[in-house]
Amino acid sequence: MISTSDRRYSRRDTVLFLLCLGLSFFGLFSPVTWGRGVADTLRESVLFPLVWLQTRAEEGRTSRLRFRQVTLERDSTAYLSQFLPSLRAENERLRQLLRLSRRLKTGYLSAEVLHQPQAMDGRTLLLSVGSRQGVVLFSPVIAPEGLIGMVSSVSGNSSVAMSWAHPEFRVSAFTVSGNAFGVVAPSNEGRNGEGALEFRGVPYRDSVPLGTLVLSSGLGGVFPKGIPVGTVIGTVREEAGWERVYRLRPAANPGSAAHVLVLAGTSQTRDLAAAFPSDSLLDAVRLDSIARLRRIDSVAQAVKAARAARRDSLVRTTPAQSRTPPSAGQGGTPSSPMQGGTTSGPPPAPKDSVP
Amino acid sequence: MSSNRVSRVQLLLVMLLMVGLQFYVRPRLWDARISPDFLLIALMLFAMRSRPGLAALAGFAVGLIADTLTPARFGAGALAHTLVGYLASWGRAVFFADNMLVNAGFVAAGLWLRDFIVLVASGTDHRQMFTELTVYSPLQALTTAGLALMVLILFRSMFSVRLDA
Repeated sequence: MISTSDRRYSRRDTVLFLLCLGLSFFGLFSPVTWGRGVADTLRESVLFPLVWLQTRAEEGRTSRLRFRQVTLERDSTAYLSQFLPSLRAENERLRQLLRLSRRLKTGYLSAEVLHQPQAMDGRTLLLSVGSRQGVVLFSPVIAPEGLIGMVSSVSGNSSVAMSWAHPEFRVSAFTVSGNAFGVVAPSNEGRNGEGALEFRGVPYRDSVPLGTLVLSSGLGGVFPKGIPVGTVIGTVREEAGWERVYRLRPAANPGSAAHVLVLAGTSQTRDLAAAFPSDSLLDAVRLDSIARLRRIDSVAQAVKAARAARRDSLVRTTPAQSRTPPSAGQGGTPSSPMQGGTTSGPPPAPKDSVP
Repeated sequence: MSSNRVSRVQLLLVMLLMVGLQFYVRPRLWDARISPDFLLIALMLFAMRSRPGLAALAGFAVGLIADTLTPARFGAGALAHTLVGYLASWGRAVFFADNMLVNAGFVAAGLWLRDFIVLVASGTDHRQMFTELTVYSPLQALTTAGLALMVLILFRSMFSVRLDA
């Protein structure tokens, strides 16, 4: 049997439930503006602490996400910036190669050096062009700086080049002044781990000064004449008073070459020296262009200054014409404040302003 | 102060903790559609230990908060939570509510029912309602029930109190 208190509780529960249900339905079916008004009021008053709490949490979450995004962006930028110098270097090298190809009057094939995973691979280079592209055996391989080597074996779409660092490499050469001839071969005494060349067979009487450029002579029928091979940096030895051997700094480094040109269908007797202007000539051209720019700038500045002066003089002469000329008793108008300085009386500034 | 009164105060503190978690921790969690509903846990645990009228009133309050802070149709949340609270209180008499797993099951069922009523009352189209009720609601019910189980284990002594006693 249900007790009186239980029945009272039950009735109160039912009333509360129905009241809540009624209010809910009222909210549900009341006009939208009423609901919004009630919600706004509650948000601004009773529920304000909860809204504040939720806002802080959202801020924390978005800050964390933003921080993560900024970190990712920073990492990406750092990663990309690592490649920037190498990209610049490659870009510069490709530009040099392009300029060289324009200067060359012979046929050529541009090739990519496929990979050099080991230090000793600088002796032989795997090129991305082969017989199908027109490469033949013993084709000279050059870089913008000078001679790299020659093709030692050819297959369909690739070829192997023997660089000047290879022990079997030889090239007939002469000094740029034309007074000494010899044979250039790789040196066994490379300094600081760098490869070096030797200019051998130079007659004892023909001394070659330091810094002399050595070019291929075209003798031997493999390399055309005029390709830079290296620069004399010292003497290696003298053979019994009849021969001098000079040390050369190689013009081109096969270890760092990524793109090269393979000369194809060229006449070996043709002189390619014009395609390899000396450093001093390049500097002169560069300086000349800078001087030209400076000259243009200076002319523009002079024109600007003249215009400014003319404008200034027009502005100054207009008020000066309305003034009365100075009397003769004052001893003439001084041309500048320094000249017109007097020991007494007010300073004659307005007169000095007239040019 | 009697031990029953102390337990009630402790229970109130747990409810406040749930409110804090709902508004400070939940926004930082993963997808809001499947993250646990701390307010519903508080409501269910309260409703199962109180009289139906009080449970309905608590449900109405929680629903009002939900209606105020979420851009759903005003009144839908209040209606849903009132019904869920009232039914949870009655359900205690029918099921063996002292078992923790039953409590967790109640929470999961309550959440799904709450979502169903809110979606119907808000006039959601059938396709979206189907997706919500078959995908997101069950997932959220699972996470909420799991968290309710953890709360029950952590605060077992506090939830042994009967508010209608």
